[in-house]
Amino acid sequence: MSEIIELQEPVETGHQMRDEIRQISDRVRARRQIRSRIMVVLCGTAFLISAVPLVLLLFQLFDRGLPVVLHTSFYTQLPSTPTLISPNATGGVSNAIIGTLVLTLYASIMAIPVGVLVGVYLAESDSKLAASLRVISQTMAGAPSILMGLFAFSFVVRDLGIGFSALAGSFALAVLMLPVIIISSEIAVRGVPHTLREAGLALGAKPHKVSMKIVLPAAVTGIVTGIILAMSRAIGETAPVLLVIGGGYINSWKPLDPVAALPLSIYENAKSEWPSLRTEVWGIALVLVVFVFVLSLSARMWASRKQQAR
Amino acid sequence: MDQEFMAQVEAVVETPNEAPVRGTAAMQLKGVAVSFHGRTAVRDCTFDVTKNRVTSLIGPSGSGKTTLLRALNRLHDLTPGAKVAGQILLEGTDIYRGDITVTELRTRVGMVFQRPNPFPTMSIYENAVSGLRFNGIKKKSILDEAAEASLKSAALWDSVQGRLKVAASNLSGGEQQRLCIARALAMDPEVLLMDEPTSALDPIATLKIEELMTELKKRVTVIIVTHNMQQAARISDDCAFLLMGEDRAGELIEFETTEKIFNNPIDPRTLDYTLGRFG
Repeated sequence: MSEIIELQEPVETGHQMRDEIRQISDRVRARRQIRSRIMVVLCGTAFLISAVPLVLLLFQLFDRGLPVVLHTSFYTQLPSTPTLISPNATGGVSNAIIGTLVLTLYASIMAIPVGVLVGVYLAESDSKLAASLRVISQTMAGAPSILMGLFAFSFVVRDLGIGFSALAGSFALAVLMLPVIIISSEIAVRGVPHTLREAGLALGAKPHKVSMKIVLPAAVTGIVTGIILAMSRAIGETAPVLLVIGGGYINSWKPLDPVAALPLSIYENAKSEWPSLRTEVWGIALVLVVFVFVLSLSARMWASRKQQAR
Repeated sequence: MDQEFMAQVEAVVETPNEAPVRGTAAMQLKGVAVSFHGRTAVRDCTFDVTKNRVTSLIGPSGSGKTTLLRALNRLHDLTPGAKVAGQILLEGTDIYRGDITVTELRTRVGMVFQRPNPFPTMSIYENAVSGLRFNGIKKKSILDEAAEASLKSAALWDSVQGRLKVAASNLSGGEQQRLCIARALAMDPEVLLMDEPTSALDPIATLKIEELMTELKKRVTVIIVTHNMQQAARISDDCAFLLMGEDRAGELIEFETTEKIFNNPIDPRTLDYTLGRFG
């Protein structure tokens, strides 16, 4: 009998230990699950908090903007000038749409070639000039945008005597776009593997040919993304053009004419005392948002097609 | 009696050191040393690279094989602080001080890199003729001819013939490396430098490139860096063994025919290395 009990004892303790371990591990697991749930709830709340303003904004944008933009006259007519006799005169923002396109176009023509070339130079050169150019463009990227407007006003409008014009506005926007294009081009070019450069050099290509024929094409996706980013930013800027474009009430593509711009129209309509003009604000905003959206979407599609082709 | 004895001694001493029968030198290295910011990476390299032979540079990591190879087409030129001392002669012309531009040198001394690096934005065809285009050749008939000839020499023509306009990155790793060889061959170089060209490839792709090399040496002199001793033994005719010295600078231990390096080396360290005792 006693022998049997002795034999059973260790078996018994073994069971006890196993049960105990199981209990402890159950407790640990339960604690972990609780902690995990708390974190999930916290993350979810944070997401909701950040999503709410965005959703509200989009709702407002479409709710108040859609009724405005569904009229073709909104795109084809010049702004209405309400009077006491006809306070609800409805016009359009054709001048501001054209103005924004013109400003972005001319600004891009000015900023893209210079920006890309400077970016390539910064990536390929170790000179002191490159280092100081880099510091300058980084500082410019952080400068308040009204500064570009002030600069364009004093330099283009006043000193050069060009006057309030699309050219002055696009100059301000170009100065704003420049650092963005420079920095993103430099990053894109630096991202091109060194082995490709060496492969070009080893074939007897001169360094400038290597830059233009190998490095630049390989970096083009990144460069274009940077350009689109800069353009999207320029389209929506109010401050730089505020002082210099003159707010023209005509549809004009000419660089020396005063033009209007969508963001500026939002600003001016929003502070207007006429309710009919104030209701137009959300429509203008919607057009602006669609512009930026189409721009970045086309860039993304282009980049992914380019990527697939490789 | 004395004279007879001396003659016998001389005969014994002379025979093993007798230079093997070789053709003319494509490249000659005389006391070549490469340093970066004053720190020597490799030194004391003196040997002749014979025409239409495969010369391999072997040795453990850090022995300066790749550094030495990259001095032969002046690829160190763009590295800040890099300095190449000694003389490197291509057909008798000093490539650093002689009457030859760096671009001309690189068209005459081609290079294939460790990892396949075809130009990703170019098609197979464009890759093959890229070197010619960089050097200003635009005539389509010349380019077409060069593309076909170089792709054939790189044993790639049959598999890519129908898809020359396809992006080069669609090829497999081994095919990409052969495209890089074709790209270098299109320049019709005298010397082809290969920096561990098969280290990123699978055994079958490796074998294809090795077969290619024995074919290639009929028209071009090949200098290859390899980590793989069997590869050096299989494909090279001459062999330079480098080793890292006490001050961490690589130096040439022995230059001989591959057969001698592997079977009957003069320096015991060479034997230790080829037998796999270190490295």
